[in-house]
Amino acid sequence: MVDDRRTVTSEIVRKVAELSRLRVPDGELPLWTDQLARIVSYIDQIAQIPEGAFGPPATLSATPVRPDEPRAGGGRDALDRNAARQFEGFGVVPRVVGTGE
Amino acid sequence: MTGSVRLVADEVSRRVRSAVEVARDALDRVERANPVLGSFLEVSREEALREAGNVDERVSAGERLPLAGVPLAIKDNLWVAGRKATCGSRILEGFRPSADATVVARLRLAGAVFVGKTNLDEFAMGSSTENSAYQVTRNPWDLHRIPGGSSGGSAAAVAARLVPGALGSDTGGSIRQPGACCGIVGFKPSYGRVSRYGLVAFGSSLDQVGPLTRDVSDAARLYSVMAGADPLDSTAADAPVGDPEGALDRGIEGTRVGFLEEAEAEGLDSRVAENLDACRQAFERAGARVTTVSVPRVTAAIAIYYVIASAEASSNLARYDGVRYGPRRSEADLASLYVETRTQGFGPEVKRRLLLGTFALSSGYYEAYYGRAQRARALLSGDFDRAFGSADLIVCPSIPSPAFKLGEKLDDPLQMYLSDIFTVPASLAGLPAISVPSGLSPEGLPLGLQIIAPRLAEERLFAGARAFEREIGFTDEVPHGIRSILS
Repeated sequence: MVDDRRTVTSEIVRKVAELSRLRVPDGELPLWTDQLARIVSYIDQIAQIPEGAFGPPATLSATPVRPDEPRAGGGRDALDRNAARQFEGFGVVPRVVGTGE
Repeated sequence: MTGSVRLVADEVSRRVRSAVEVARDALDRVERANPVLGSFLEVSREEALREAGNVDERVSAGERLPLAGVPLAIKDNLWVAGRKATCGSRILEGFRPSADATVVARLRLAGAVFVGKTNLDEFAMGSSTENSAYQVTRNPWDLHRIPGGSSGGSAAAVAARLVPGALGSDTGGSIRQPGACCGIVGFKPSYGRVSRYGLVAFGSSLDQVGPLTRDVSDAARLYSVMAGADPLDSTAADAPVGDPEGALDRGIEGTRVGFLEEAEAEGLDSRVAENLDACRQAFERAGARVTTVSVPRVTAAIAIYYVIASAEASSNLARYDGVRYGPRRSEADLASLYVETRTQGFGPEVKRRLLLGTFALSSGYYEAYYGRAQRARALLSGDFDRAFGSADLIVCPSIPSPAFKLGEKLDDPLQMYLSDIFTVPASLAGLPAISVPSGLSPEGLPLGLQIIAPRLAEERLFAGARAFEREIGFTDEVPHGIRSILS
């Protein structure tokens, strides 16, 4: 079921890791590449379904929506309890401007 | 002995036992067994006893509660207000939701008591519960084997008689597969039957919440309480739930039961094939008209599933970046906050799926993988629609082999993915499916039969499952791996 085609290369793994906000150390790159290549080459069987088998794209019905009515939420305190870091009622993240560099 | 869901509810309602007594009994069993089994990530003794006390007061006041005093275990990707919800991941360490999931709120209203949160594969990604960042869960039938996954903690807790029922979530088989591995019933409702509000999202076009119980009737009871429309989840269908419990004793005289042709292809494990013959005979004895049906694209289901589920996961899990909750791993700058929090917070299987999903959605590959998988999924659904033209129910094994040994497939992700080969098709098509214990393999490990019905035909499914359960007569013995601990 798994063939030797390699759609996935180490460059591709590096690129998708960056898009996924993940760091893949150089030493682990061959293992990740090999595993993903094997999985993708298994997945490639969907390419073998003849094009003629597919019908026209399905028309999707709109997602049902609920009435736009205000409701009481859990309140700010409930959210703050899980905040990683706060200062005077604000969530704190690392400085992104004016770093002085 | 805690007893079944229905027995506990009945006895607590009639005040034969108090909810507090039942809760204390369940908590004591959990305390004895959990160090060996590893089913629970958190046990909430004080809260459970307080909840049980409230139930006793409500019963005394004359309230009629369908789940009066029933102790339940909840998979740790479902919110119970104030309790942990780690999803088996370091990235959600310390997170405590402020609200109940809709299913939890409905069970609470019906009188259930929440004993604790159960172990799972990280973010429900896995088939063995070995991907949890916290602990290993063992199969009560053989402590050297996996309980299945990802709802392995819930399945092991029910199989070991620690609690009469538990909740799991099922994206590609995560309720049915561990149910089969542990010799209990695992039920995934139709997509849209049960609200996912408060279920941490993995694959949003697939995720469903469902019960794990020791028999079909208990599953119907829990499902009846949980199902139905919810203003907090627009995917929860506004369709009548009907009377699943009333359907249990309808029987299946004349029902067309189609055995899935593709499941019996060459290579089927001989133990599973032999068991399938016994299942066929059970249906015949129950009066069903047994036939064979073909759903040709089930052979491509694993490939389709791993594109779609991973793509949805890569989008859903983008929210875990250390900004709003969970531990932060670096604060040098915003980019390293994101990257280090995620790199150190997620385990290998989650990373593998994020990479795969991001790949399938990335420029240049989107149409070849994600687009094509979506179109193939529609073909598979069409195959099921046609098959239901000649069968009222479709059946196949729940698992390709009995529970495997801990560690056996950890180094081969693709082999692990193939553990779900029989459960993924119903997930892709949004169909209700239930795994019912169907016997023991020659080495004494449970096997399960999966029964699939058309979308929203849960009543028909329960009638078929109950009739099969009655005929197959699965053992009610306490699993041998855990017997000495509980005796």
